[in-house]
Amino acid sequence: MKPKLKKIAIVSLTSCEGCQFTLFDLGEKFLDFMSKVEMIDFRLFEDEKDKGGKLDIGIVEGSPMTKDNIKILLKLRKRSKLLIVLGNCAAMGGVPEIKNYQQGKATIKQVYKHVQEIFNPEIKEVNNFVKVDFVFPGCPISGDEFLKYFPELLAGNIPIIPDQSVCIECRKKGNKCLLLENKSCFGPIILGGCDAICPTSRMGCQGCRGLRKSGNIKTIRCMLKKMITDQEFKNITEIYGLRDDISYKNF
Amino acid sequence: MNIKINHIAKIEGHAGFMAKVINGDVKSAKLEVQEGIRLIEGILIGRHFKDMPIIAQRICGICPVVHNLTSIQAIEKALKIEVSAETIKLRKLLEWGQIIHSHGLHLFFLSLADFLDIENDLILTKKYPVETKKVIQIREFGLSIIRIIGGRAIHPLTNESGGFKKVPTILEIKELIKKGKEALLLALELGEFFSKIKVPEFSRISEYVCLGKEGEYAIYDGNIISNKGLNIPLEKFQNNFHEIQKPREIIKRVQFDSKDSYMVGAIARINNQHDKLLPKAKKYLKELGYKFPDYNPFHNVVYQMVEIVNFIEESIRMLNILVDSDLENALTKEYKIQKGSGVGAIEAPRGTLYYSVNIGLKGYIKKVNIITPTAQFLTHLEDNAAAYLSQLPNLTNKRKEKKMRALIRAYDPCVSCAVH
Repeated sequence: MKPKLKKIAIVSLTSCEGCQFTLFDLGEKFLDFMSKVEMIDFRLFEDEKDKGGKLDIGIVEGSPMTKDNIKILLKLRKRSKLLIVLGNCAAMGGVPEIKNYQQGKATIKQVYKHVQEIFNPEIKEVNNFVKVDFVFPGCPISGDEFLKYFPELLAGNIPIIPDQSVCIECRKKGNKCLLLENKSCFGPIILGGCDAICPTSRMGCQGCRGLRKSGNIKTIRCMLKKMITDQEFKNITEIYGLRDDISYKNF
Repeated sequence: MNIKINHIAKIEGHAGFMAKVINGDVKSAKLEVQEGIRLIEGILIGRHFKDMPIIAQRICGICPVVHNLTSIQAIEKALKIEVSAETIKLRKLLEWGQIIHSHGLHLFFLSLADFLDIENDLILTKKYPVETKKVIQIREFGLSIIRIIGGRAIHPLTNESGGFKKVPTILEIKELIKKGKEALLLALELGEFFSKIKVPEFSRISEYVCLGKEGEYAIYDGNIISNKGLNIPLEKFQNNFHEIQKPREIIKRVQFDSKDSYMVGAIARINNQHDKLLPKAKKYLKELGYKFPDYNPFHNVVYQMVEIVNFIEESIRMLNILVDSDLENALTKEYKIQKGSGVGAIEAPRGTLYYSVNIGLKGYIKKVNIITPTAQFLTHLEDNAAAYLSQLPNLTNKRKEKKMRALIRAYDPCVSCAVH
């Protein structure tokens, strides 16, 4: 007898949808993944209506930014045994969160002449609305990391991403350290697992995967002092919603 | 009687559709946007220009490359930065790679099922396993170009104002050429499959707008041209095309001086520039037997196939030139930061993307404007939806809904881009 396939839904809130395209871009590996689950709802792939009912795993990307987004998210949580979030927007606020750090309602006026009737809430991460069981971090997520941990989730276990810095993988790749060249890089305080994809392209880490538990922010700030000002440091932490995770009292 | 689609699946971003029909007369047809506002233009103000390509490319996960490149182009014009010939060659490759994989996704996984009356892509991939494999490999070539040159397919890393942080090795370029040759054969085979797909007959005369340049199928630079004789430098764009915000709408539509809606994207480019296609794409187009000007919006999907063939050919040709070039010339050189304004425009998969930026003395952004292809063709889509619907009086509501979904998807709308 065929084993019963786990029921999955992939849902997208307001976002660039780059995380679900990361899955799609896995090509045949993605189709292989699709054949091992029962896809109940994935609107990038089908016109058929959601058949409803309970889910083993609900997967969500993006920011809950419209009233509909929030409704969809709450409904997904209610019917899912595990709720998994994909990527920086869902987990940390993403680039839209930058507006939270700006001058109140001024940002919208830069874009729209008529702002009445446009819903413009403060940006909040998914875990402000529902309980999150696991996060695939990054902007976008890493396809390989998804394939690595998803089987564990299918088995009903919550994987643990090792608390290692981006530097570990960066060194393994034989990259020249950007910090030693006086270029800003957040690698030492940020959770690895991304294969150091940015520093490998000589782009300093800006922290899209979030702080690691044992990262020493004070030390990195001291190191970066000769390269960037406090203001520039804050600006970088805004790009991926890191700023509200860092306590500035110690500086 | 109304035609209502709550949520259109298989498009980028979130939207529904609503048409009002009274006694057989189509009174209105509208795309209803269900996207949140991320205010990308607003959040860029006050930030350093170096953040702009990084943040702006996150408008769209399917076409981040073109947002990245167009913002860089606008910045370089504002700061009067000159870049090397090698830099431009690598950038064109990135854009071709972008269009190849975006078109591949759209024509096969998003649109094709509509013409075969299939409701789920899992059924499609099971019914057409050979073609599925082919399109995946063709997409993979486009993605590899971006991975090798840009460092990552979604939200690339190496490209910046002034050039590249890192350039590919000659060995990597040679690998790409090999992959490209394989992809070209597959694209011609898939092209044959697509030439047999029956798409609906419907057409309505309209204006086609895209970039145009002497001697090449323009994507990276040129004037703004149309099939009705428009030919203006890109700096004049905002004199002839106007963004308007209608009440309760979060997409700022673009209105042309003539007030008539217009179309951009593959069908516009092919209509205006088909004489500049490379030999294999030209031959394939000829075999399709379409007559020009072609006003059937469903052909947009087939023209994406023509462009895939063309851009694989272009990529192979360019990669062969790069094998003998000194790619170190594409590495970013130092430049002066000064105040200024600049405009950039590049052909995105779905049509011309415009960026304008105003940068202050110390490199901080004072104003940004982004005009996307979907914001430009939205009114054209709705006009055609209304016209097409009025030609389908005898169908059931469910069939009409299906036809509307097929038409909307043939446009390949990107709602995430349009709202940004």
